[in-house]
Amino acid sequence: MGATIKIPEPASPFPGLGVETEQGLLQWICAVDHKLIGIMYLVMSLLFFVIGGALALLIRVQLAVPLNHFLPPETFNQFFTMHGTTMIFFVAMPAIFGFSVYFVPLMIGANEMAFPRLNAFGFWMTLFGGLLLYFSFLAGGAPDAGWFNYAPLNEKNYSFHKGIDYFSMGLLISGIGSVATSINIIVTVLHYRIPGMKLNQLPLFVWMVFVNSFLLLAAFPSLNAALALLLLDRELNAHFFNTAAGGSALLWQHLFWIFGHPEVYIVILPAFGMLSEVFQVFSRKPIFGYAFVAASSVAIALLAFGVWAHHMFAVGMGNVANSFFSAASMLIGIPTGVKIFNWLGTIHGGKIRFTTSMMFAIAFLIEFTIGGVTGIAFAIFPIDWQLTDTYYVVAHLHYVFIGGTISGLLAGLFYWFPKITGRLIDERAGKWFFWLFTIGFNFTFFVQHILGMIGLPRRVYTYPNLPWYGTLNFVSTAGAMLMGVSGLVLVYIIWRYGRSGKPAGTDPWNAYTLEWATRTSPPPLKNFEELPAARGYRAWWEMKQSGLDGGAAVSQKEIEP
Amino acid sequence: MRRSENTSMIHLVIYTEAFFFLCLIMSFIYMAYNAGFAPRELSRLDIRSAGVYTVVLIASSFTLHFAEMGYSRGKPAALKAWLIVTIVLGAVFLAGQGTEYGRLIGDNITMNGSVFGASFYTLTGFHGLHVVIGLIILLIVLILAFLGDSRSAIRTIAPYWHFVDVVWLFVFTVVYVLPQFSSI
Amino acid sequence: MSICFPLPQPFHIVLLQAVEDPASIQAERINHLFNHFNIVAALVLLLVIVLAAWFSIRYRRRHGDNSEGSPKSGNRTVEIMMIGVPTLVLAWFFYEAFTVGNAVMPSSNPTRPPDIVITGHQFWWEADYPGSHVVAANVVHLPVGKELLMELRSADVVHDWWVPQLGNKMDLVPGKKNYLWLTINKPGDYIGACSEFCGEQHAWMRIHVVAQSPEDFSRWLDSNAVDASPPKDDLARAGEMLFQTRSCANCHRVAGTPAAGVAGPDLTHVGSRPTLLTGMLSTNERNLADWIDHPQEIKHGAYMPEFLFAKDSVLALAHYLEQLK
Repeated sequence: MGATIKIPEPASPFPGLGVETEQGLLQWICAVDHKLIGIMYLVMSLLFFVIGGALALLIRVQLAVPLNHFLPPETFNQFFTMHGTTMIFFVAMPAIFGFSVYFVPLMIGANEMAFPRLNAFGFWMTLFGGLLLYFSFLAGGAPDAGWFNYAPLNEKNYSFHKGIDYFSMGLLISGIGSVATSINIIVTVLHYRIPGMKLNQLPLFVWMVFVNSFLLLAAFPSLNAALALLLLDRELNAHFFNTAAGGSALLWQHLFWIFGHPEVYIVILPAFGMLSEVFQVFSRKPIFGYAFVAASSVAIALLAFGVWAHHMFAVGMGNVANSFFSAASMLIGIPTGVKIFNWLGTIHGGKIRFTTSMMFAIAFLIEFTIGGVTGIAFAIFPIDWQLTDTYYVVAHLHYVFIGGTISGLLAGLFYWFPKITGRLIDERAGKWFFWLFTIGFNFTFFVQHILGMIGLPRRVYTYPNLPWYGTLNFVSTAGAMLMGVSGLVLVYIIWRYGRSGKPAGTDPWNAYTLEWATRTSPPPLKNFEELPAARGYRAWWEMKQSGLDGGAAVSQKEIEP
Repeated sequence: MRRSENTSMIHLVIYTEAFFFLCLIMSFIYMAYNAGFAPRELSRLDIRSAGVYTVVLIASSFTLHFAEMGYSRGKPAALKAWLIVTIVLGAVFLAGQGTEYGRLIGDNITMNGSVFGASFYTLTGFHGLHVVIGLIILLIVLILAFLGDSRSAIRTIAPYWHFVDVVWLFVFTVVYVLPQFSSI
Repeated sequence: MSICFPLPQPFHIVLLQAVEDPASIQAERINHLFNHFNIVAALVLLLVIVLAAWFSIRYRRRHGDNSEGSPKSGNRTVEIMMIGVPTLVLAWFFYEAFTVGNAVMPSSNPTRPPDIVITGHQFWWEADYPGSHVVAANVVHLPVGKELLMELRSADVVHDWWVPQLGNKMDLVPGKKNYLWLTINKPGDYIGACSEFCGEQHAWMRIHVVAQSPEDFSRWLDSNAVDASPPKDDLARAGEMLFQTRSCANCHRVAGTPAAGVAGPDLTHVGSRPTLLTGMLSTNERNLADWIDHPQEIKHGAYMPEFLFAKDSVLALAHYLEQLK
């Protein structure tokens, strides 16, 4: 029998142990415990999700009917810029980091991140970056050149209020936080795994976050460089992107998309990881093709750096460059497809439990496939020439971000909710939320494919009354309202059941990974006192099978109905 | 011996910083080809004195290595002495860069004056900033060494300093050497 | 004041003016490829939906069943299929993309001079017909049946030329010349829009292409190559005087008069264009007067400044401009 072993800990004394839990707000501000920081990331993400969602609803109201006057054009442009920037940098990223810093140490049997203070630093940088971005509303106007902020429209002579300066500073600051947290995650995974857990047998969520962190460390410097050059232009009158003074419009596009396209994978890979856990536990089966699912993430991360210019097929690069980026972009479809079919393989032959979490996972399979195939349309560069920068691309990216990332995050949220809060949600409320959200989402965005094909460009504050424009946009707006309602339901569920749901016990799903092995839910400040030597990506399951779980499985059975 | 967390961390910092400088260097080259630098401005660069400062900076990598060896052999005196030499060499490099800046600004080559000015000051300036940060950290290590710190951070910081020196070799090549061979 | 998009009659009959209704050789090639793609994409989607639905029903947990699912965790043949089949399909699409791409855009650096030069401005289009002295704005006339080479430039920020029925879009990048090949095969009115976000009035940077038979086109070209017609009555003469003396001429050109500004649209034949402001208003005296009187209320963010003209000056200017057929 495997002897129990001590849990690896940071060299310095265990941080956070001195903090009293009765200190209220101070406890949160001073927190270095990875679980508290994880929760703060998630709350921040939810907060910005509500703001970004409200902006989206205002946008949709303006577009509900042709020639609408609900929002003036400059306000509309600020709103869609802020909507995109918020959703990517201050909703998706914090949500991913929140789940990562909360669950990576738990899933590898560690008691902390490698650098707890750096962890807190990363969070506060992200939060302050977001606050700085929103401060622009008070400082003369929000950024108004789109989330990818093309040159030379981002220059002072075209956008003269301070919005884009706040945009640049905010993203630089939160970017530094993201880099710090990614370094922290990699070092944690490298040094704090419970003995016996090999790198090639990590739980898939940990593996994907690990691979993803390398991707992030390679991608963010490009954004930071672009933002630094832009700030030099705007503050010190340099001429990098000022085309009137010899600068280049395309340099910005290259630098931005060398970051921007990997960023798309940065926000989807951890969601893939969560889904990989959810599919296993709720199908009561090990993942189908572990090695293929794991390796395909590496393939995506590597290919991510050869595809940026597929955002630039229409800038006149020439067909040699077009063909190269077209081929690389198509190649990404293969590892992504491998994942979809391996997940289908995972549910095949299982005993599927349709919890709210699993419902989102199944919906993800279909919605993400829609986003995936339309993605291939943009890799085929002649088709891209027709459809890029239209509502077709709006539909595509929302199917990837909402149907993919957000569905994955919600599956992860409902899966881990009992561990984070110690309470179960009412599954009926969860299903209400699922159906409202999913129906609303598909109504909003499916029709936008057609709008793109009949010639509606993206980012227009209004449109003439051409055949079908009004009807389809109205359907889209109606769907968005449904999504808005579902957002309120989500906030209600978290609020209501996080405080007074039924106690969940330590392991309500009879799960497979070590985060469910803690003595309580939520886990105590010191996650584990001791654990049996663990192996493999279903370490906790193996312990339960061999009776090494210290009776935890028994207590769990008492709670489950 | 198991690599420490700190070593892994600094290697990751270098990994991400390498991409940052790659982007800056590529931007410099892109601006050189796309916008074109004025030959008059390029000819104002003083490759000879910059070459001397390059040698100084590279020498500081060796002296830091000697400091690190002193530390691992348990000779605090050698650690302190070589650290001081390293810091002085780093400061000399910065002073050299400062005189170069002063001279160029005197020639009316400025950040807002031309594409070349912007590219030059940005690339060398970001490198200089990294040298400054390195010097601050080395100073802290030195002070701690005088206070008798036994767990010196020198092993952690050394790879970073070597990295900054290597980056300068690329910057020097791109900014000073390559224009000598091309007609842009 | 009502803002409308006055469309020529045929527009209202067409159900969908779309990518799927190509009117040029280039658009037909792309549309053909797009249809192939749509068939394959629909099959892939159908496969995933069928599998997900089938597995969800077939393998759902029965009430009271607490056992584990099958311990099967992989199958080499299935994995090889997952990689192999998509690779073959994508290889085929790459081949198609390559051939269609090269047919539609034979070169990014053509040797012959362009037939038309389009310059994007915030927020209007300038159409220059080299060799004919014709400079039009926003309503672009093109001949049918001829392989046209369009040169695309930008005067300020990045814009994008896109008329869905005429095929591929192309960015107008400041500091760079881009080219587009276009062989229209059906006469008619085609509409499009700037498709790269270009600032406050990006929404009102729409395109109206009038594709004509070669005879009609050369008639149009000839009628637009002549200098502006002189004012016909006293009011118009007063308008012309105002135009020349009160800053209008700094930005606008009227051929045959001293007005030679280039910042704003050429107004030599403004009265003959069906719409103003890329389709925001139909061309008539009243709309012209409204626009001159309070441009920033109509199209906020456009470069046309708010002048403080007296009411009768505005009417005289509008009267003069409306006569510039």
